[in-house]
Amino acid sequence: MNAPSPTPTKKYDLSFARWVYDNIDGGDRMALCMQCGTCSGSCPIGTQMDHGPRKLFMMIRAGMKEAVLTSNTLWNCVSCYNCVVRCPRKVPVAYILHDLATVAVREGYAEARNSDNARFAKAFWWSAAKYGRTDERLVTGKYYFSFGIGEGYKRGMANLPIAMGMIKTKRMHLGMPHKCSNTGELHKILAKAAEIEARDHGKQG
Amino acid sequence: MTERKTGIYLCGGCGIGEAIDVAALEGVAKKEFKLDSKTHACLCGDDGVAMIRADLEAGINQVAIAACSSRVMTDRFGFEPIQVLRADLREKVIWSHPANHEDTQALAEDSVRMVLTMATKVKAPEPYVEGEWSSRILVMGGGVTGLAAAAQAAALGHEVLLLERSDRLGGRALDSSKRLPHRPPYAQPAANDIGDLVASVTGNAKITARLGCTVTQTSGMPGRFVVNLSDGSVETVGAIVVATGWRPYDASKLGHLGYGASPDVVTGVELEGMLKAGKVTRKSNGAPVKSVAFVQCAGSRDPDHLPYCSSICCATSLKQALELIEAEPATNAYVVYEEMRTPGVMEELYRTAQAAGVIFMKGKVKTVGADLTVTVADELIGEDIPLAGLDMVVLATGMVPNSTNTDAPSPAEGAEQLAGDIDPEVPFPVAGYCGDAPAAHAKRPQAAPEGGSLLNLQYRQGPHLPVLHDGFADSHYICFPYETRRTGIYTAGPVRRPMDWAEAAEDASGAVLKAVQAVRSASAGAALHPRVGDLSFPKINLNQCTKCKRCTVECPFGAIDEDEQTYPIVNATRCRRCGTCMGACPVRTISFDNYSVDMLSSMIKAVKVPDEFSGKPRILIMACENDAIPALDMAGIKRNQWSAHVRILPVRCLGSVSLLCISDALSVGYDGVMMMGCKPGDDYQCHFVKGSAMAAERLSKVGETLKSMMLEPERVTQAEASIADADRLPKVIDAFVEQITAIGFNPFKGF
Ligand code: SF4
Ligand code: SF4
Ligand code: SF4
Ligand code: SF4
Repeated sequence: MNAPSPTPTKKYDLSFARWVYDNIDGGDRMALCMQCGTCSGSCPIGTQMDHGPRKLFMMIRAGMKEAVLTSNTLWNCVSCYNCVVRCPRKVPVAYILHDLATVAVREGYAEARNSDNARFAKAFWWSAAKYGRTDERLVTGKYYFSFGIGEGYKRGMANLPIAMGMIKTKRMHLGMPHKCSNTGELHKILAKAAEIEARDHGKQG
Repeated sequence: MTERKTGIYLCGGCGIGEAIDVAALEGVAKKEFKLDSKTHACLCGDDGVAMIRADLEAGINQVAIAACSSRVMTDRFGFEPIQVLRADLREKVIWSHPANHEDTQALAEDSVRMVLTMATKVKAPEPYVEGEWSSRILVMGGGVTGLAAAAQAAALGHEVLLLERSDRLGGRALDSSKRLPHRPPYAQPAANDIGDLVASVTGNAKITARLGCTVTQTSGMPGRFVVNLSDGSVETVGAIVVATGWRPYDASKLGHLGYGASPDVVTGVELEGMLKAGKVTRKSNGAPVKSVAFVQCAGSRDPDHLPYCSSICCATSLKQALELIEAEPATNAYVVYEEMRTPGVMEELYRTAQAAGVIFMKGKVKTVGADLTVTVADELIGEDIPLAGLDMVVLATGMVPNSTNTDAPSPAEGAEQLAGDIDPEVPFPVAGYCGDAPAAHAKRPQAAPEGGSLLNLQYRQGPHLPVLHDGFADSHYICFPYETRRTGIYTAGPVRRPMDWAEAAEDASGAVLKAVQAVRSASAGAALHPRVGDLSFPKINLNQCTKCKRCTVECPFGAIDEDEQTYPIVNATRCRRCGTCMGACPVRTISFDNYSVDMLSSMIKAVKVPDEFSGKPRILIMACENDAIPALDMAGIKRNQWSAHVRILPVRCLGSVSLLCISDALSVGYDGVMMMGCKPGDDYQCHFVKGSAMAAERLSKVGETLKSMMLEPERVTQAEASIADADRLPKVIDAFVEQITAIGFNPFKGF
């Protein structure tokens, strides 16, 4: 983790690009990006992104750290891998976006932006890491209440009819959350993974 | 002179016999020319060729063949030293016109009339071979190009005189760190191996190198140039290779890019010197350079500075950034470019630089502050991005050709000769376009480059080697590299276009091969590019000469000087045999043994012009042999069809067409005349550089004359043709025939 990204004392931080090249998963390949725009052109979510991967990468080069880490591009990527498959320079675009998202969470940019997707991703990971499964009620609940008690209640009530319908068609269950058979092992595995990650890459938030 | 005995051969092969009545052609020869002819079913076959050879044994001394285009079967129909005249019945008759049609037959008969008329007007050329010839090659410039040229010329067995103006051999390469990649995989900067090249030259017994030595004066012609040197000696050489290289653009003119505002704004050449010395530090305070921005196109591709791309600065910046990163991996190197231009395989170097972490930004540099903040109008983000906190800014300045001697003052006279004299004076429209015509050619103004002449040529047309608008020595980039407008003098390396080390060395080989060809051809009396091997040369009948100086002025190659009485004297080996002088001479007193105004006019008049009651127009096309004729041949090969009412007369160059040929054509009843030739102007494709421009200029004055003869000026036009125009030219011809038909018949018909 640990090499924190350079602090944005100014809007354009010339050391940011090299930091990304050296520290982000796939960043070394990003150095080869030739700005062809195939990624942004191939992205099914491109119209829902404030920048699109090509431009985001150029912004990294220009040292626009804050703009990059608060961009919704990081969160709106749906991991379809169109860009990864098509990039003529073999830049693993989606990995880079995901790793940048991690940095955004770690350094508080995601929070600052109050990103829905970031909150949802956190709730999702919480459930997956805890039970080895995602429990719809808990993930949604955690996500809703991350906006505060009142807001969480409001969102919960608004979605109640959907939840009821899902229960009726056995799409959601009541009772204890489902777990994988040996959560103790899972937790050990995850702890080990975090350790390796920290040792080998010095990153991952 | 021995009596002329012409053997006439008609071919019935390749479908000619089926598409036209060849026996009728024999009749034309017999009835109109009182000459016997022989027809063969396949003239180019062993049998046909043996038939001609037998007649040669029996004493014929000229051959006229009516078969395929003169551009093919030259080996089968080559009977050196016998002159062979050709009429094309195939490509430009049966392949491009309907079979067994009276108009096609008339066209074939006229082709025979033209070649038989030609046969009475020419004789086998006697070459100019008087005097002594030198095979020594002078190479000017001891940099990469000059060294490579010297080594190549010596390897081909020639004595070489190598001149270098400074006191060391090696040129700018001596001041460089690594060189650009030049062999596979082209991915990394390569070691600077200039020392090896220098050693190979200094150790070569065939090469005499003189340092601190320049040319003060050059006279003579290919095969015997007399060169005066600054050390007082006088040398005779056969050909000259100009490899004077380049100099960096003057960065003091780049104030808008911060040059001069801070000592840490340096040029690429300055950084190269620091890399070479192994010590790159900030000039201002000696601190290390941890972050650097390269500003590409500093002065290049900028109409206010150098309008062209200098071609090497992109790759050079990549190399320099890589060298900086190699020395200090944490170096933050920005390259700000408008377009990254990596010619050849230099793309691999670009990849290497990207992988090494060099950061590329596409956009224009707006300002460079005294604090080294580079503000970039970034095109890929769409914002102005300030790059702040840099330690050094490198301006990738461009290449300026050493096409003049900057140590010497500009000559008092003749400097204007340098400034794009290639454009015709008057703008003229480009005829012959179907659809959208390109803009009219207009003269581009240009100031003469500064400095004295490199060669100080003692030529009637001035001391300089002609240059193009950008100041590069004129040599056609694509079609005729190395050729200058002074025969026997070849340019190689960055003096003719921007290029890198490896390209320059390769260029040197090309120019040396040209120089070798020049010295060998000179002693044989043979022409060089583009009429390689032509033994004819212009002869001037001084009894008729009015000393009007048209020929001495118009010759594209400065071949004609003036004697004390201002009579023209042709320097035979400077001449490229274009005939521009012949076309220029108002009293038609310049001719070649096998090409003359009389010959052209007689051929024009040999055609049977139908009267107006036939309803058939007759149109003359004088087509350049270099591009228009091959393009028309190609059109025939593709079976493209065009009007059978035109008669095509091949000419050496449009420049060789005398206005007399046009007035003769109109006076014998042709309804229209088209001159079909290469593109003139500063982006010429004319193989004789100025020939088609001269033709256009002459033509621009024809309109008034036509009006005074009560003829429509539209009856005479010039059309541009390029070698690739096989599909376009038939349309151009048909459109002109239509235009002439609309104007109506020539009222002079039948007079
Ligand atoms: S497709 Fe690849 S090379 Fe092209 S812009 Fe996207 S990341 Fe860059
Ligand atoms: S992986 Fe993400 S960025 Fe790439 S195309 Fe899919 S959604 Fe777009
Ligand atoms: S080589 Fe590059 S820097 Fe140099 S003029 Fe061309 S585009 Fe500009
Ligand atoms: S105009 Fe052409 S033919 Fe005449 S002297 Fe010059 S090069 Fe030779």
